[in-house]
Formats: sequence, C-alpha cells, structure tokens
Amino acid sequence: MSEFSSPDSANSSVNQSIPTVDNAPLWRLAWRRVRRRPFQYVLFVLGIAIGVAMLVSIDLANGSAQRAFELSTDAIAGRTTHRIEAISPIGVDEELYRELRTELGYTQSAPIVEGYVVAEDLDRQPMRLVGVDFFAEAPFRSYLNDNSGSSSNDDSDQGIEALTAFITEPNTVILARDTASEYDVQVGDRLNLTLAGQPTAAKVVGILQPANALTRDALSNVLFTDIASAQEVMSMQGRLSHIDLIADNEADLAPIQAILPEEVKLTTAQAQKNAVQQMTAAFKLNLTALSLLALVVGMFLIYNTVTFSVIQRRSLFGTLRCLGVTQGQLFQLILGESLVLSILGSVIGLGLGIVLGRVIVGLITQTINDFYFVVYVRDISVSNATLVKGMGVGIFAALFASVIPAIEAMRTSPNNSLKRSTLEGKVKKVLPWLVVAWAVFTVGGFGLLSIKNGGLVIAFTGLFAILLAAAFLTPPATALLMEWLSPTLSRLLGILGKMAPRDIARSLSRTSIAIASLMVAVSVIVGVSVMVGSFRTTVVQWLDQTLQADIYVTPPSTTANRVFGSVDPTVVQEAYTWAEIDHIVTYNDTDAEVVAFNRDAANQSEIAVDRSVKLISADGDVSAGQRPYAWIRDNVKDPWPQLDAGEGVIISEALMLRAGVSEPPETVTVESPQGSLTYPVVAVFYDYSSDRGTVLLDDDLYLEAWQDPSIASLGLFVKPDVDVDAVVTQLRQTFKGRQDLVAQSNRNLRQGSLEIFDRTFAITGALRLLAVVVAFIGVLSALMSLQLERTRELGILRANGMTPPQMWKLTLLETGIMGSLAGFFAMPLGYVLAWILIYVINVRSFGWTLQMQIEPSYFWQAWIVAVVAALLAGVYPAWRLGEMVVATAIREE
Amino acid sequence: MKNLKQFAFVFVAIAVALTITFYPRAGITNSGKASVQWLAGQGEPQSEFLQAIAPKPLKFPQDLGPHEGYQTEWWYYTGNIEAEDGHEFGYQLTFFRRALTPETAAVDDASDWRSNQIYFSHFTISDIDGNKFYPHERFSRQSAKLSGAQAVPYRVWLEDWSATEIEPGKVHLVAKADDVALDLTLNETLPPVLQGDRGFSKKGPEEGNASYYYSIVQQQTEGTVAIADKSYAVTGRTWKDHEYSTSALSPGTVGWDWFSLQFDDGSALMLYGLRQENGDIADVSSGTYVSATGETQPINHTEWQLDVLDTWRSTKTKSSYPSRWHLEIPKLDLVLDGKSLIANQELNVSTNYWEGAVGFTGTVANQAVNAKGYVEMTGYADRLDVVL
Repeated sequence: MSEFSSPDSANSSVNQSIPTVDNAPLWRLAWRRVRRRPFQYVLFVLGIAIGVAMLVSIDLANGSAQRAFELSTDAIAGRTTHRIEAISPIGVDEELYRELRTELGYTQSAPIVEGYVVAEDLDRQPMRLVGVDFFAEAPFRSYLNDNSGSSSNDDSDQGIEALTAFITEPNTVILARDTASEYDVQVGDRLNLTLAGQPTAAKVVGILQPANALTRDALSNVLFTDIASAQEVMSMQGRLSHIDLIADNEADLAPIQAILPEEVKLTTAQAQKNAVQQMTAAFKLNLTALSLLALVVGMFLIYNTVTFSVIQRRSLFGTLRCLGVTQGQLFQLILGESLVLSILGSVIGLGLGIVLGRVIVGLITQTINDFYFVVYVRDISVSNATLVKGMGVGIFAALFASVIPAIEAMRTSPNNSLKRSTLEGKVKKVLPWLVVAWAVFTVGGFGLLSIKNGGLVIAFTGLFAILLAAAFLTPPATALLMEWLSPTLSRLLGILGKMAPRDIARSLSRTSIAIASLMVAVSVIVGVSVMVGSFRTTVVQWLDQTLQADIYVTPPSTTANRVFGSVDPTVVQEAYTWAEIDHIVTYNDTDAEVVAFNRDAANQSEIAVDRSVKLISADGDVSAGQRPYAWIRDNVKDPWPQLDAGEGVIISEALMLRAGVSEPPETVTVESPQGSLTYPVVAVFYDYSSDRGTVLLDDDLYLEAWQDPSIASLGLFVKPDVDVDAVVTQLRQTFKGRQDLVAQSNRNLRQGSLEIFDRTFAITGALRLLAVVVAFIGVLSALMSLQLERTRELGILRANGMTPPQMWKLTLLETGIMGSLAGFFAMPLGYVLAWILIYVINVRSFGWTLQMQIEPSYFWQAWIVAVVAALLAGVYPAWRLGEMVVATAIREE
Repeated sequence: MKNLKQFAFVFVAIAVALTITFYPRAGITNSGKASVQWLAGQGEPQSEFLQAIAPKPLKFPQDLGPHEGYQTEWWYYTGNIEAEDGHEFGYQLTFFRRALTPETAAVDDASDWRSNQIYFSHFTISDIDGNKFYPHERFSRQSAKLSGAQAVPYRVWLEDWSATEIEPGKVHLVAKADDVALDLTLNETLPPVLQGDRGFSKKGPEEGNASYYYSIVQQQTEGTVAIADKSYAVTGRTWKDHEYSTSALSPGTVGWDWFSLQFDDGSALMLYGLRQENGDIADVSSGTYVSATGETQPINHTEWQLDVLDTWRSTKTKSSYPSRWHLEIPKLDLVLDGKSLIANQELNVSTNYWEGAVGFTGTVANQAVNAKGYVEMTGYADRLDVVL
C-alpha cells in the first residue's frame, strides 16, 4: 500500500490534507478485476460489439447500394452538368440533338441511349447498357478516348482504326476489366444479354481498364455500346434517352432553352441523384432506426454491467477514498474502464458489422431493386466514414451509459460505502420520481408523434422517448408487483416463493434494469411483428380486391415489382380475338412529375410539390370495381366510370400523404410532354406496390398528352365457366418460343407479390433477431451478475440448510419471475410500438395506411422468448451456486 | 480538474473522428479515367474498297460529292485573305471522310446512327498580323444528318461547319469555334483542274496506290473572319482540292510536302513531294502549273529543285519543319523564294502536321510575281507510313 502515498508526493503537497494518488495503481486494480471476472466484461464487450455491428452493417449495406448507384450514375454522367430529358417515356427525338449540333453548334453535347439488360453469363446481374456516340464523348467521359495508358503517342488514328468494330459492327460492347476477369470474359467473346425478355448476343470488342479503384467500382456494372446498337437493341430508333450537356454557366443554355420543345425538359445532372436519394431516404432511415434500437438495448446492458462493477466494488472504493483517491480519479477509473472496453467492443463490432454487411447487402439491394432503382452491388464498399461513425457511436453509447454509475462511484463517501443497503434505499426514494419521469416522457413522446408533418426523425425521437419512458416505469412497477406477488407465490411454493420476489424487490437497482432491457427488446419484437403482420394482412386483402382479372400478360422484367418494356402490339391485337376472353384491360405506365396540388379550385390555393410518381394509364379497372378507396369525391360507389370518361384522375394515398397533404386535393397538376396538365381528383386509392405515389389516368387522355401508345401489361378476364388454368396453359402454348411475354394466372401473380413482400421484410426479421440476441446477452449478464453477487448470501442460506435443488429452484424462480415480468410489461409496450409504427412511422415513411391486425400469438410468443431467455440466464449461476463450497462462499475476510 | 481535461481530450478526439464522417468523399467526376484494350485488328479490309487504278473521267457536278466506295476522301479549302486595313489572314477548312468498313452492317430496322462513314474536319485561322494560329478539329459520323456530303446541290458539312453551293460556281463556307469564326463566299474563276493524268494522281509505284484528284484554284473570296469578338471584312483567294482514294503510302515514305501557290497574275502552282526515309523524294511526286487562263502543264519530280533554307522547331512535338524555301522550275523559267507567314502553324489535333499560309516572291518568265498560298507538311512529327 505504500505506493499510494510515496514520501515524495507527501512532501510536495504539504498544504493538502490528503495527498494525490498516482493513477497507475488504479489502472492495475481495474485490470486485476477484469482478469478475475472476465465473463462480465466479455458480455460488456459483446453488447457493444453487436450494437455497433448492426449499425455498421446497415450503414454499409445501405451506403454501398447508394454508392454503387451514385458511382455508376456519376461515371455515366461524367462531366455532364445538365441534361435534356423527355417527359414522355418514348425519349427525346434525336432531331433535337441534330439541331443542337448543326444549327446551334453546341458541341458540348452528347446523345445517350441507355437501359438495363440482364447479363446471363455474368450471374444474371442487371447491367446498365449505355449507348454512346464515340465522337461526342470526349468532353464528357474519358473512358473510351483516353489512350494515355496504353498506346503511346504514335497517333490516335490507330484509335479510330481500333474503334471500327465498336462503331460499325452491331451489338458490340465494352466492359470493365474487373467484371471481365471475374467471369473470365475475353475480348472477342460473346455475351448473352436479355433486355425485357428479348435475348440478344453482344460481342465484347474492348475491355475497359479503369485508372483507379473508384472508376473500377463505378464501371463494374456498365456495358458501353455504340449508340446505333443501343437504339436497335432497345427499339429506340430515332429516340435518345437523354442528351448530356456541359454548360459553364446558365447563360450558355439560353439558346438551348429557346428551341426546346414542350415534351422535353432541361435538368441538372445533380437532380437525378437527388431524386434517387429522396426515393430511398425513408427506407434507409427506417433501417437505421431499427439498428439504433439494438444499440439502445445494448446501452441498457452496458449501464447494467457498469452499475454492477461499481456496486460490487463499493467497499473497495470506500477504502480507496480513505487512502486519498480523489472523486475525480474514481470517476476517471470507471469511465476509463468503459472507454477501453467500448473501444474493444467497437472494434469487434466493426469487424462483425463488415461481415454482417456482406450478408445483408443482398437483402437490401433486392428491396431497392424491387421498389426503387436497379443497382447491383458486387461487394460492400467499406467507407471510413461508416467505421468512424460506428466507432464513435459505440464509444459514446458506452460512456454515456457509464456516466451515472461513475457519478455514483465518485459520490461514494468513505463511511457509508460499506453499507450495501444505502443504494437500494436511495432507489426506493427515487421510485415516485421515476413515475413522474415516465409520465413526462410518455406525454412528450406522444406530443412529438402528434406533430403534423413532423417528419420521420421527430417520429422516431418520439418512439424512443416512449420506449425510455417505459424503462423508467419498470422499477416502480416491478416493486409494486413483487409486493403483490410475494403472498401468492408463498402460498403456492412455500418459503422459496416468498423469498424470490423479495430478493428481486430488494435488489431493484439491478433487477429492474435487467427487466427493462429485456422488456424493451421483447416489445420491439412484439411491435415489429404486429406491424409486419398487419402489413401483410393488409397487402393480401388489397391484392385480393385489386387483382380481379384472371390472367396477366406482361413482358418479363429485370426486377420483380416493376415492368420494363412493353407487350408486342401484335399480341395485344391478337388477344382481343381469343374466344375464351370476356374482356381485356390494358395498362401502361411511365414516370411523371407531380408539380402541384390544388386544394380549392375556386380560390386557386396551390400547393407546390415536386414528386416523381408512377403514372398509370388504364383503359379499364383491373379490380372490376372491387378496389377499396380511401376517399371518393362524389357519392358514388365506384369512381372508375368517371375516370374512364376522362373526368379526372385517381391518385394514390401515398402520393398525398408523402407530399404532406392530409386532405384529398381538388386537382393535381402533372408535367406532361404538352406542358403542365391539371386534372380533377375523383378518388384516392390504396396502392401498396409503390411508396412513390401513383396517378391513375384514362388511357385516352394519356395517349393524347404523352403520345405513347405502347402497352405494358394486359389483364384478361375470361368468360364465366371457362377454366382459367386451361387458358393460361393454352396461352403459354401459343407464346411458346416467345421470350418477350409472360402469362400468369391471378394466383401466381398474387403469390409473386407476396414473395416480394416477404423478401422486403426479411431484413426486418434479421434485425429483430439481432435485437433479441442483444437483449438476451443483456439479461444473461445482468441476471448472472446478480446471482453471482449473492454468493455469500446464498452460501449462508446453504449453511443454514438449503439444499442444492432448492438453490436451483430459487435461482430459476427469480430469473423466471424477472423474465415473465419483462414479457408482461412488453405486451402493452409492444402494442404501443406497433401502433406508432403503423399509424405514424409507416404513414410518414411510405404513405401507406395499414389495418392493424392483432394476433395473440405475437404476444404470447414474445412472452415465451422472455421467460426462456431469463431461465437460460439462470442456469449457469444456479449450477455455480450448486457446486459452491459453502465455507468458501461465506468466508469474507 | 486534470482528469476532466484528460476526458475532454478523449471527447475531442472522438469529435474529430466524427467530423471525418461529414468530410466530403471523393467523387468519380474528376478522377474517372480509363483506357480501353481494343479488339485487335480485323484483318485487311482494304481489298474490298474501290481503288484508284487507272484514269477515269471525272464528271461534274456528280464528282463534287462523296465517293463512299473509296476509303478516304477530302474536300480541302485553303485561302489567303486580307481585311481592308491590310490585316492578313490565312484559313483552312477541310472535310475528311473515312469509311471504316467497305459496307454498312446490314441490320433490320437500322438506327439512323448506323453508318460506316465518319467525317472529321480541320478548321484553322492564321492571324498573320497577330502572329497567332487557331486550329480546331471535329469528328462526327455520317448519320442522323450530323455530317455528310452531296453532289447536287453541292454540299459538305460536319455539324455547323459547312461548304454549301448557293448557286452554280458559288460556294458558301461557314465554320465557327469558340474563339474564331469564318463566313466566306467563294466565286469560281476557272474550271476544275484535273491533277496528274486526267485527275488520276499516283502516290506510289504499287497498283491502286493512287487517288482521283482535282482542284479549283483562284476562287474569288469575300466574307468575314472573326477572332474573339472582333470581326473583319475580308477578301482574297481560295484554293479547293478534292481527292479520294483507297491508298496507303508506300513503305519507306515518311510523309509529304504539298504546295499550293496562287500568283497575283492569276496563275497557280501545285507541287507535292513524297519524302522517303533517305531524304529523297519519291519518283511519283509531281505538280501542275495552271496558267491564268486555265491551261495546265504537268511537272514531274525531276523538273523542280526545292531547297530548304531555314527550319522552325515545334516546341510541342519537337519536330523541325522547313520554314524558308528556294524553288526553281527551269521548264517554266520560275525562280521563287518563300517563307511561312507565321512560324507556328502546326496542328496538334488527332494527328500532328503543319499546314499554313506562305508567301513567295520571285520571277516567272522574267516577270516579277508575288504568290500567296498554303503548304502542308506531314510526317515530321508522326511517320505517316506507320499511321496510315
């Protein structure tokens, strides 16, 4: 002990009553403790690690998908600053490009024809087929023109010679080196591509050697082809996807603006990226919030562990204080321990997160492909920012959770620190205040949730506040329940039944935290299960009502949820001649911009919005009047006849809600090739197939304004008494050899839709599971510490005649009660969470109103999870205690 | 307090780490570079192109237009012009056509962009008084009406650069780049001059190593030239060459020197020398003298003597180009001395060559004459027998 107060320091601090103690011995002390009780610290590290891992993996997977898309978008945009795009899906008339070049002499322009193809030989991955005019490329993209790397300066006529095949041979492509070498593709090989179901063979005439890693990633799923080939393959003769422009300043664009026809618009290159970000923002935020939830559960666990380590060392701290260790040093010791452990945990978490990220990136990109945009992620890109963020959050969470116990340790005064009951006494005093805190947080949380147009971040803050409030309520509720439970249990189980609840109530400072963390975790399971279940039921119902046609004919698509391409017009013509068909409805869709809502046509109160939506043109109702509507303007049962008569449009609920418009608008204004068109809104319908928003429009109006006669899908209603399956089989026979068509029965389509649904929620399931794992570890660590701490007390009980089986019983009874309590508390909380997820989060994120569906099984299953977790956590301590040598256990000094 | 400081340090460290999170990431736009490893050569397609094998009567206006069966073709306008205040300029506006393959690939419902013909164009302005040279190059394919050529009415164009017949014998030239612009009207004064043997011009001893070649010289020129924002009304004379072939230079030929001189008495002289590795000029090198009334006289390579008196060294390609000449053609009793009007008229575009305005003075048949013209010198920076 002499090292605590060396003569030197004693002399040098004559004026101080107690000399300052060096820090080193304290750190040695901490290290000794870690070595003696490694298990507790392992759990601490694990808790942080899993929390961080989830955060990091979600972030990496999301980030990688986004980055893959952005990089390839950037790579394709190159130095493009502006872009001429068509409003109609048929593209920009190439005549406009000729005008730009030959009449305006605007050389900073390049025509692009692009689309998505599935590369059959490259793992069937979707690739971006980008058709370029080599001669216009130089100012925009330097991939094809830059020969600095390969051939020397012997002349670029060589380059022109080499380009011959690329320009003159149909269907020639260039792909990136990494992709080529991954699939062992050589120059001269043929690649099988599928474009909207049409197979095409493309010859590889060049391998792109990206100059750096960034370019490599960006170009990994791009196929460059000549613009002529692109037009031919995609049947876009005479049309361009867009015209890229470089403008040093807006003034340069004035002459272009002057000649632009109505059906095209000039946008900035940045706009496309923004649109994509806007599209997926809600989806990403939801996933991030879910991963944060795991970290919150993890924080409970850390708080728990640190509290224990403090409480267990109270007598030691008392002694140290007597020896002159300052309050600050103790504070530092506790936080220092946490810091070291959290760094360790975070580092492990980063590693785990990267591994996990690799696993879930497939799930996330699948969903993004189903709903938003085509992206293929070869491997996650581990961004430093994500790692730093994960590290930071892990350390902050651990330190934050340790602050209260550290203050507790700091405040330990030498005299009462030796009394264990002081803390529990304090907790008792705090109980009423905790009820107040619960009330305040709950009211605050609901207050936040009820803010109109409050946005997602506020909604999630409210949700977290309510979760925290419930945690506050746990200690008083536990105390109360234990008081009630004790007599009942004692009647049932005798003395042990009396002891167990009292033990729990007596150690409330620790037991309640274990209960609270288990409760939070279980309630998340309940909440998410109810939400997903309700969602699924709603979607099933909606599909049943909406999909009334018996057979659906579409071109096969690269992604499951969206149709690319169109049905061959000859097939459509033929379909009308089939005898078994009663009637046919045809659909077509395009992306459009909704620019404004008008709440009141009379006083022109316009609400400007700028939302990209799916515009569907229909010549009939595929639901045959069965479709449910959220709102119908006139007092009619079915607004479809009005739509058919061209009296107005039907908009989706998501369009309205996500634009922050709570009341159905009078009219909606859509950008069309003929300029902005305003249509009256006759009804609002539910659409769970898109969270972007949908506008249903009569096909005649669409044809008039968009000039696009193609048909994306057909719904066939067969005559009564005709066997649908037989007709489908017959159709397939007729279409045999036609790979550009898919005929599906109603049942198949419904099944397919539900598969997408389940796939979308696979990631949610994975996260839910992880939250349970974190909670489980938390409970395990809390309960185990709790029991191990009582070694001496139980030793005394043993010495007084308690048998090992009784010991087992007592331990399992205690953990069992705690588990049951957590499960019990989790039920109402889970319900509240589900309510918030369904009526606030979902509506704000995706604009979908779901019918809440309560399945009792969600509740009792969750309760069982809690009890089982708690019982399992009791096994090791019970076994340890059963094995203990009584004499060792009760010997203290 | 010391402890708190230590903690503050830790928090600051974490805060710093977090700011890195918001540090902007590298974008692809500035770093996106790649090069392409192309499919190796597609064999020797040249045999399938038409070749210039023997003299063939050239017919006008049909032959003003393109001859797509031949691999290479060019319409070459060079001229020396002068503003009213005596400010001197030279200009070059050339349209090259190159067939990548003998035939366009057959595709059902072919795209407008599908073509085997590409056009490229060189446009230069030499500001003699300002001692500045403005070279520009553009490429396009003959598709989607972006570039092309036609005989009736005569027109050659690449985007907004064009030579368009406005009435028989009168052609409108337009070209515009970011720093210079040209708008000239050319009036023919003499009928087309058929070069070589009735327009058949040999470029090597091998069969087919020849071109069809005619010139329209001494065209009265007027219009405007703009440099930056300053526009000049100009007048002067223009020389047009139109040549097409499917020929490669014979092995050992490194490049050529081509002279087109328009004398102030209305006559004109064209000479081209194909330079060999050993410094000699090839036997097939030749020239034509056109009298003021349009009579032509062929000149073979033994009949002229050209001495280089000085050279100019390009800082860009480190090549030395002749810059002063002494020319004698005893047969015409012609003795001339000339020089480039400004030293640097080297084009560093997809290929490197020197093509610029020159001035000559001397005597022809004891009459003092002045001539302006253009000289093209290729193969000094890049050897052409390797390239072509």
